[in-house]
Amino acid sequence: MTQPVTTSSGAATGDGGGVWRRSWFQALIVLAVLVAGYWVSRTLGHPSWAGGFPTGLGDGFMSWLDGIYAWIVENRNDSPLFLYFFNYVSVGLGSAVVLINQALDALTWVGVTVLGVLAAWRAAGWRVALLVLVTFGVFALSGLWNASMTTLALIITSVFIALLFGLPLGVLAGRSERFYRWLRPVLDFMQIMPAFAYLLPFVLLFGIGNPAASVVTAVYALPPVVRITALALREVPEGSIEAATSLGSTPWQILTKVQLPLAKRTILLGVNQTIMLAVSMVVIASVIGAGGLGDAIFQALSKVNVGQAFQAGLAIVMLAIAMDRVTGAVGNGAHTPDVPERLRMPVLGGGLAVVVATVVFGRLFGLGGWPRNWAVDIAAPVNAVNDAIEGVIGGATSAVGTWMLTWVLSPLSEVLTGAPWWLVVLVAAALGWIFGGVRVAVISALSFVAVGLLGVWNNAMDTLSQVLVATVLTLVLGVVLGVLMSRNDVFATILRPILDAMQTLPPFVYLIPAVALFGIGRVPALAAAVIFALPPVIRLVNDGIRGVPAGTVEAAASQGSTPWQMLTKVELPLARGSLLLAVNQGIILILSMVVMGALVGAGSLGFDVVFGLAQNQLGLGLASGLAIVGLGLFLDRVTQGRRASHA
Amino acid sequence: MSTQRTEPEGNLSDVTFSVRNLWKIFGKNADKVVGTDLEKADSGAIKAQTGATVAVRDVSFDVRPGEIFVVMGLSGSGKSTLIRCLTRLIEPTSGQILLDGEDVEQASEQRLRELRRRKVAMVFQHFGLLPNRRIIDNVAYGLEIRGVPRAERYERAREMIGMVGLSGHENSRPGQLSGGMQQRVGLARALAVDPQVLLFDEPFSALDPLIRRDMQNEVVRLQKELDKTAVFITHDLQEALKLGDRIAIMRDGELVQVGTPEEVVGRPANAYVADFTSDVARTSVLTARWLMREAFPEEDTDGPSVEPGTVLSQVLPLLSASVAPVRVEENGELLGFVGRDDVLRAIAEDQLEDEGAFEAIVEDNAEDLPATAAEDGHGGTTPSGNGG
Repeated sequence: MTQPVTTSSGAATGDGGGVWRRSWFQALIVLAVLVAGYWVSRTLGHPSWAGGFPTGLGDGFMSWLDGIYAWIVENRNDSPLFLYFFNYVSVGLGSAVVLINQALDALTWVGVTVLGVLAAWRAAGWRVALLVLVTFGVFALSGLWNASMTTLALIITSVFIALLFGLPLGVLAGRSERFYRWLRPVLDFMQIMPAFAYLLPFVLLFGIGNPAASVVTAVYALPPVVRITALALREVPEGSIEAATSLGSTPWQILTKVQLPLAKRTILLGVNQTIMLAVSMVVIASVIGAGGLGDAIFQALSKVNVGQAFQAGLAIVMLAIAMDRVTGAVGNGAHTPDVPERLRMPVLGGGLAVVVATVVFGRLFGLGGWPRNWAVDIAAPVNAVNDAIEGVIGGATSAVGTWMLTWVLSPLSEVLTGAPWWLVVLVAAALGWIFGGVRVAVISALSFVAVGLLGVWNNAMDTLSQVLVATVLTLVLGVVLGVLMSRNDVFATILRPILDAMQTLPPFVYLIPAVALFGIGRVPALAAAVIFALPPVIRLVNDGIRGVPAGTVEAAASQGSTPWQMLTKVELPLARGSLLLAVNQGIILILSMVVMGALVGAGSLGFDVVFGLAQNQLGLGLASGLAIVGLGLFLDRVTQGRRASHA
Repeated sequence: MSTQRTEPEGNLSDVTFSVRNLWKIFGKNADKVVGTDLEKADSGAIKAQTGATVAVRDVSFDVRPGEIFVVMGLSGSGKSTLIRCLTRLIEPTSGQILLDGEDVEQASEQRLRELRRRKVAMVFQHFGLLPNRRIIDNVAYGLEIRGVPRAERYERAREMIGMVGLSGHENSRPGQLSGGMQQRVGLARALAVDPQVLLFDEPFSALDPLIRRDMQNEVVRLQKELDKTAVFITHDLQEALKLGDRIAIMRDGELVQVGTPEEVVGRPANAYVADFTSDVARTSVLTARWLMREAFPEEDTDGPSVEPGTVLSQVLPLLSASVAPVRVEENGELLGFVGRDDVLRAIAEDQLEDEGAFEAIVEDNAEDLPATAAEDGHGGTTPSGNGG
């Protein structure tokens, strides 16, 4: 609620006070102090008072968590809480996923395809129907039909749960200002939490497998539908509500006859976003034992089989795009076929009849899932192509990778882990103060101390170094591409649909090309993070520059600015708000991806999460998850503090 | 239901809405003003001391059955808040509102809904239509929420749509209609529940002048035809004079004057009202009843006769054709006379905004004027002789 305090540092005033009052300069000094501190510590041979965070407390915390985990495992079958609640939920969800999966099987592959295509046509027109047909084609031909159906069943289950809780919460938040004020920080927090950090608590409660996966997916996908439903209800014109009230509507009638119908389209956009988040999380949840396409990618990546990963990745990509187009079209109604009112029931009936007929036909011929031997295996050719490409540019990419590792990643990681921990905490606080004010400084310091207390200091610093490098890369690339996009309409027209598509993809699939190019290790994780975070950054830079008032640009041109002066003195400064937003969004995306990079050997916090899961070391896994949250909090607050006070 | 409270002023059966000492104060300390010393302070002082904003201040008035009661004031005068207090769309801070003798303030949520559903319907400045519903469903909304079966409510809605001249648009959506047509829908929606009272909140302010005139005529027609009582909010004096049986002028949350159009124009309560009405052409507001007087001795009394409600601009042609004053008659009964001098005086006052200027000019030129003219001028006196 409280606005970030505007401090007296005057860093953002920009005018007067010289270079000393500029925030970038102050930040540079702070970083120089950090490097100096590291150098001193190294020269002294890393004495205990000037080294990494003492691990004693963290170890205690972890073994305490391990104890809790052991207790839970022991008591899962007699504690009433588990016996009568979590286990029931778990069994229920497990059966829901299985049931839906069986239902999809019972429809047979022809039935599912016909149903999907007809539904897509009715909701979104024939183009999208065609896209859905192609998607089912990819499922079938890649031999991943069954995995796809499992993924679909998981998505349906978790979206159902998310909407079951999200819609009522959104309605409450839309109607009650107090409830919304209470809920909003929770949603904010949920949205900066990297997906990986969600996983462990749910494993604790539900064990490994589909139930935990569907709950974690539902929770992860919850915020947009709540937020957008609340927003949509608030946007219903006051006049319509007042008029309905003046005619004597009850609060329930106002909700059902005025607010919900008028907010419907916007709410559907929220549902669309929730579905897309569910698609991305369901893939990540393969780490905690969710089956389906995510598992296929997970398995392929762990064997570094690019071809197999590509196959499954393609299926996921098609699924994501098709889901987005169908649900998005329901939301904005743009391409919905215009069926006259009196024909609607007949059309629906006809469609159902066709589906039923197809299913009966399918059952008669004993069809089920798509037969495996009809699949076209593209894994081998993709691997061949990949090998060929690697043969040509492999030398170059591995050189780039090695250079990156030796000259950038490792030194930075070394400085962060080797400098006295208290100095790092102070530096974090100082940066928070420079960029966000006193409140942010306190939050930053506390986040870092918490990370230390959790006992994962070194890994956290390593993760941080990856995030920082990826952020710098992303910003440089993003600003260059964004500026180009704002300058060149043809380029913008080409780039925009690509960015759209990239933003609908689950982050998991970005690991595949990264592995293909850089093998495994920290560098591919970095590359995946950069690719993943680039689209929103490019878009925001472009929007910011294009949003500069034409009159201002004209005035600057009339005074004889060169294009470079125009960019650096007029456009970029005026687009400041968008640029800061780009930094903020980019850095949060990068963190979540870098952590996921553990799956391709990036180590650090993400690895601890996976390792903790795999080895039943829940203490380590949970502590790492919490440390990820701490880093996220720091990065988010530092990059958004000023923005709020300037808006 | 009817709590028979006896009201000191007037007979309850003659009053539809009876409003007494109504206050509406917005802000945190709203309840710390009324009944304290602050009550008398001006709005600025109250705002400074408590942070609360006074929107309606100690307002009392009665609305009689079948009349159009116009509340007129500039924006920010509190008139929209006032009309919303009548059915508690905005909760009043204090005061009493009786609707047919029933205390609206004391009504339960359910009773209040019942009043809104059956007795009082409102028409809004920005229409307040539901854009996702067809016109017929908009008009039928009030019936739908009180559970009238579909066939019945559609029949009623069609009838209302016909009444406001929109037949054929039943299946359109509000967005497809012009502003004037949308307001007709708003009107039909209010009429569909067959309310006893219609509340209009600046219903025509958002419309073009020509359409506004049509709609005003429509309201007059429907109100007479259906015998509804109406409270009408406007910031447009012409509209107020055209529609109002009585007009209440509001300023800074207070009622400055309540009276017939003639009273407001002809005998403004203070400089504010006078200034407000100064641009009005009196000949089109003042009536024969307002100007009529006893016959002078030896005056010719067989001039043409007019109804007492005839406005001056229609008396003028008769007077130009006849030297004798017109006879003001109602049902054959002689009420009084209006002569050329009386009309001339009214016109002269119209030209010179305040009476002082008129007197000054008359006095300055007294010696140049023929004696009789000066005498007649005094004989007419200031227009206080409201013969009725």
